[in-house]
Amino acid sequence: MPETTYWRSVEELRGEPPPRPELSDLHDPAGAGESRRDFLKLMGFSIGAAALAGCTRIPERQAVPLLAQPEGTLPGVESWYATTCGGCSAGCGLLVKTRDGRPIKVEGNPHSPLSGGATCATGQATVLSLYDGQRLKGPLLHGRPASWEEADAFVASHLDTLATGGGRLALLTETIASPASRRLSEDFLRRFPGAIHAVHDPVSLAALRHANEQSFGRPVVPRFHFDRARVIVGLEADFLGTWLSPVEFARAYSRGRRLTDRNSGMSRHYQFEAGLSLTGSNADRRVAVLPSELGLVALALAGRLAARSGGGEPVPKVEPPCDPALLDTVADDLWQHRGESLVVSGLNDPAVQAVVNRINSLLGNVGKTIDLDHPSWQRQGDDGAVTALIEAMERGEVGGLLLWGVNPAYDHPQAGRFVKALARVPFKVSFAGRLDETAEHADAVCPDHHFLESWGDAEPVAGSFGLRQPVIAPLFATRSVHESLLRWMGAPADPLAHLREVWRRDVFPRQSRWAAFDDFWDHALQDGVFEPPAASTDEATPPVDRGDLAAAAASILAGHAAARAAGGLEVRLYEKVGMRDGRHANNPWLQELPDPITRVTWGNYVSVAPALAAEQGLADGDVVVLKKAGAALELPVQVQPGHARQAVSVALGYGRTRAGKVGNGVGANAFPLLAASAGGFRLEKTGRRQTLAATQLHHSMEGRPIVREATLAELARNPAAGNEERPRLETLWAEHPREGHHWGMAIDLSSCLGCGACVVACQAENNVAVVGRDEVTRGREMHWIRIDRYYQGSEDEPRTVYQPMMCQHCGNAPCETVCPVLATVHSSDGINQQVYNRCVGTRYCANNCPYKVRRFNWFQYANNDRFDYTMNGDLGRMVLNPDVVVRSRGVMEKCSLCTQRIQAGKLRAEAAGTPLADGEIRTACQQACPAEAIVFGDQADAGSEVARQQASPRFYHVLEELNTRPVVGYLTHVHNPPEKA
Amino acid sequence: MAAESIPLRLPWVEGRPSLKQITDDVCRPLATRPSASWLACFAVALAALSAGAAAAGYEVATGIGTWGLNKSVGWAFDITNFVFWIGIGHAGTLISAILMLFRQKWRTSISRSAEGMTIFAVMCAGLFPLLHMGRPWFAFWVFPYPNTRGPLWVNFRSPLLWDVVAISTYFTISFVFWFVGMIPDLATLRDRTAPGWRKRIYSLLSLGWDGSGRTWARYETLSLILAGLATPLVVSVHSIVSMDFATSVIPGWHTTLFPPYFVAGAVFSGFGMVMTLLIITRKVMALERYITLRHLEAMAKILLLTGSLVGFCYLTELFLAWYGGNPYERAAFWNRAMGPYAWAYWTMMTCNLFVPQLLWWRRLRTSVPLLFVVSLLVNVGMWFERFVIIVTSLHRDFLPSSWVMYKPTIIEVGILIGSFGLFFTLFLLFVQALPVIAMWEVKGVAAGEAKS
Repeated sequence: MPETTYWRSVEELRGEPPPRPELSDLHDPAGAGESRRDFLKLMGFSIGAAALAGCTRIPERQAVPLLAQPEGTLPGVESWYATTCGGCSAGCGLLVKTRDGRPIKVEGNPHSPLSGGATCATGQATVLSLYDGQRLKGPLLHGRPASWEEADAFVASHLDTLATGGGRLALLTETIASPASRRLSEDFLRRFPGAIHAVHDPVSLAALRHANEQSFGRPVVPRFHFDRARVIVGLEADFLGTWLSPVEFARAYSRGRRLTDRNSGMSRHYQFEAGLSLTGSNADRRVAVLPSELGLVALALAGRLAARSGGGEPVPKVEPPCDPALLDTVADDLWQHRGESLVVSGLNDPAVQAVVNRINSLLGNVGKTIDLDHPSWQRQGDDGAVTALIEAMERGEVGGLLLWGVNPAYDHPQAGRFVKALARVPFKVSFAGRLDETAEHADAVCPDHHFLESWGDAEPVAGSFGLRQPVIAPLFATRSVHESLLRWMGAPADPLAHLREVWRRDVFPRQSRWAAFDDFWDHALQDGVFEPPAASTDEATPPVDRGDLAAAAASILAGHAAARAAGGLEVRLYEKVGMRDGRHANNPWLQELPDPITRVTWGNYVSVAPALAAEQGLADGDVVVLKKAGAALELPVQVQPGHARQAVSVALGYGRTRAGKVGNGVGANAFPLLAASAGGFRLEKTGRRQTLAATQLHHSMEGRPIVREATLAELARNPAAGNEERPRLETLWAEHPREGHHWGMAIDLSSCLGCGACVVACQAENNVAVVGRDEVTRGREMHWIRIDRYYQGSEDEPRTVYQPMMCQHCGNAPCETVCPVLATVHSSDGINQQVYNRCVGTRYCANNCPYKVRRFNWFQYANNDRFDYTMNGDLGRMVLNPDVVVRSRGVMEKCSLCTQRIQAGKLRAEAAGTPLADGEIRTACQQACPAEAIVFGDQADAGSEVARQQASPRFYHVLEELNTRPVVGYLTHVHNPPEKA
Repeated sequence: MAAESIPLRLPWVEGRPSLKQITDDVCRPLATRPSASWLACFAVALAALSAGAAAAGYEVATGIGTWGLNKSVGWAFDITNFVFWIGIGHAGTLISAILMLFRQKWRTSISRSAEGMTIFAVMCAGLFPLLHMGRPWFAFWVFPYPNTRGPLWVNFRSPLLWDVVAISTYFTISFVFWFVGMIPDLATLRDRTAPGWRKRIYSLLSLGWDGSGRTWARYETLSLILAGLATPLVVSVHSIVSMDFATSVIPGWHTTLFPPYFVAGAVFSGFGMVMTLLIITRKVMALERYITLRHLEAMAKILLLTGSLVGFCYLTELFLAWYGGNPYERAAFWNRAMGPYAWAYWTMMTCNLFVPQLLWWRRLRTSVPLLFVVSLLVNVGMWFERFVIIVTSLHRDFLPSSWVMYKPTIIEVGILIGSFGLFFTLFLLFVQALPVIAMWEVKGVAAGEAKS
């Protein structure tokens, strides 16, 4: 079927990346190949354009009020709706802010028992995907736009054939954590004899469920309680960044480590991993080991714990790949905290998971920190079932295939094989919201709504429900999958009625508070989440571990021997925070979100250890080919301190070809490498270079007291440990007079995990522009809040610290004195204000800012085809927060401490006639933070949380010796390393 | 002994020309058609100016993003060029005002062109604060004028505002000084020119000069008053420009040494540029008799003095960075000398401190080709001094997370070239249209020498 594709350049037609000339090449008036005429033309144009730019005003546009106002919508007044996030299957509760009928910001739902009001960067960015112009505008039939009637007729005819024995129908879905979807898909498939339902996870964790079946007879992903664990050991599990339910875990983890007046203890976290992950970077002790050696670490730990337990099945002795004394320390630590420790592994290897199960069983963690009774419904994918489906497709047994929420033509390790097999399926329907790599092969594409447009539900963890409701009428002629399936079943095509029916049947009976379903429904819908009362509180006896340890050990040792025999480099494939598995690749906020560790935006790369880079003569930006027989990937190199030496890391989720104009061709697709065994790779230099678009280029604090640190033991001896040196600030001048509020912020560096949720939250709240890869390489990202990441110690074993950095709102602000036109001034309540329409753009304020937090509008970022990201079309601009000005070119901008929220809070309090309560105003960064690291409030109010934190002996200001007197301050970073080793 | 053959004072005008001959020599180029060499120079200057205008036009139309600046380095070529041209503009006033007050006769041959150069340099300099603004169309907001926005005033604490005041004052005074100094010569031209439009212009510009004793007496008084007014400006303008940096908090900028350091550097660069221009002018306009080797040597001595002063400041900075014990300042200076822009730092050190030391030798001091090379290097070195101060301080300041590199784009280079184009275009027009040597003053010197 020929498809209508429009191309703008030959490069695009051929699928080559567009030439990305340097700006200096582009505008070289004296450049080769340009004649005198061109030069004169350019000059004439430039002068004319300059004159015009100086003379024209921004065209005025009319905002016409509605004649008949929709009920409940007040212009300029926001409404909040509770719903459930669809960014990944973790199903965090959300509150969606709508203004004039448009969702413009998502925030965590504080009622949510899992995420507790926090979100991750991906969740924050989902609202932008709603306004993605590359979403399908309606159904496609054989690649051409069609009406829903045509599509339905086409599908119905094929389904009828299948229902009457014309081949088997297969449904390939992502992990379904939604009771309604689960029930609907089951009901739907019931009509079709021999129907197959396979679940595909791009990043699979099937081994965990498999191992739990072997060990405990329960094929489930358990719920992990990181807050209850005093000792945490992670084996290649990025549970704070990308693994299973990162928001829930990050929140629990940081609660288990929060130091307050009342709580002086914190958990201890060991991490064994090859590449430096967000989780590993937060560990108290991190050990770099090769992926193939992680099993050995698990076995060595199991052996030590078995010895300490003095009985049970013997564990084969292995030579550990790291310092045995350290493993002894870890084992001691774990043993001392039996029942309140937790060992997790993210490896998709049943043998390693079996050993980890044994460790947790020996420690008595099962039933305490590991809950098998309320399992998680994440990562229900079954690789075996997907492979079986592909084989059935190859054999021609599959007569019809429905693709729901999956994109295997991109993210299956054997995508090529899948696409070929797809050609043998006579009838393929995709529900993808965009014409992605898989949907382009489908006969019919019946695009699903964005989750903010649809009804739905979620049960991320057994017994914890979330409801999803539409917060905007569908923008395009899309249709929810529920409606499509219901229609094709011949049932009433009303997804809301179906959802209510499922809840009436499955959820409503599990509570007794509301007698009438409608009451129950209304409350659940309003809360967005529902958790039935726990059945019983007494703990059942934990299941006995019946796993075959000997077989697991043999498998691990064989795997290790094979990897050693293969030689070369091992490859670790991981998900990046924000981008995850690549489904949000067309979201420019996520593309421009710096990776927490590498600080690189817009693309993936091969991370190598400094020692390996030195050995092979590689530097940041050298393009290499990562090769082994049957697999090759071309990417730039990134030298990563702390990486295991004989391994490299590559992020998944990049190299999309049909994501949309933003995500296409960013990075390279590493999913095919999942198919190859980990070892035996080598790097080949190409001699080319590609600058990494990094937002931070220097990684050492240079001995400066920027992030102040102490260990927990030091802190116990001295409450001001690490923060002893406070300068005595002298001044010749009287203090500025103060009355009323004095806003302030305290950031607990000990809590901050560096995940970047705050960065995207700030971007969404404050209309921060996306500037694109080239501008990031020029050092011009616009983020108002950034997370500085510094390494300490050696290159091989660095310790990582994070520091969120935004405008510090200095009381003696260096920026304020230097502006010639008074475009940046101080408010009476302690905020350093930037007056955009007074700014003439001398940039003196930015130069004089010791924190370098000011951001300049180098170009016009809105309505400019060169910056075709979010603000270049009416659709993308719908996400803009009407309370915040979109800045024009040539002016400075920076963090305002969410001044619009402060103003709204003050107005609310005034209207209610009550004094403003502490915590009532929350900044966007604070609201999003899963680690609750940021506290904002009135520091003039001695009872406020921020004032309390500022009184802590751990509190300090960055560069306080400059006497800038900021209102944003930090609490020292405390870590809890083991005393030995 | 050779000393006996040397008179006590060497003449400042060679060949003992008659007063009429002086007038003829200076006025000849004004009456004749431009020479081929002048036309060639003018074509080059105009081309450079056009390139710069195109680059500046593109920048204003598109955004400051066409430059290589970034989140940490907010100024680079723009303010470097600004300070550079302001510095160039220092020699004129120094020669006219201070040397006049000190009754240095040798200044008479060079004062006119030096003053002209000052005005053109300040005009070039004035472009950059305008062009470097993100929204230059609102540049008038930096002037404190009554307005309907409150009224909203300017920030009198901002050194940028002080710049506005200092530079506009300096330009006004320099222009008045230059013009007043030309009045007797314009009258001479008026008297020599046949009736026609030229004569009418010269008549207008000479303000009815009658050459009477009383006119001369008043004229001398006015010159003295203007010199007295201009003298503090020589020190103040660059002191205030230096406060753009000195009043900031950035290590490498925040230095009390800056005002004298900048003034010395400005005089140094100004004399460098005067030297470059006069070596060309005396050749092209055949004025070797009036702009003699002795003049060049006297200027070379000033170059040696000011170059050494500047070098002394460089070393003081380094010493204080170490001795002061401020870790940020120490790091900033270590980074200047040893960091990624060390090449710029050592270019500056070589051109400004080491090369002028050659001028201790009289033989070298009196070699015109060598002086020409030295004067060019001084210009290069002083441009780099400003580049080093601005870029190396900004690209690595307090928080290492924001450390970046800066690389200029073709647009920035184009605007720099354009500023040279503007400067030379104006200077070439000046030498073709106005007396490039102050005839009445030179005649005074020549007459005095004839008597002795």
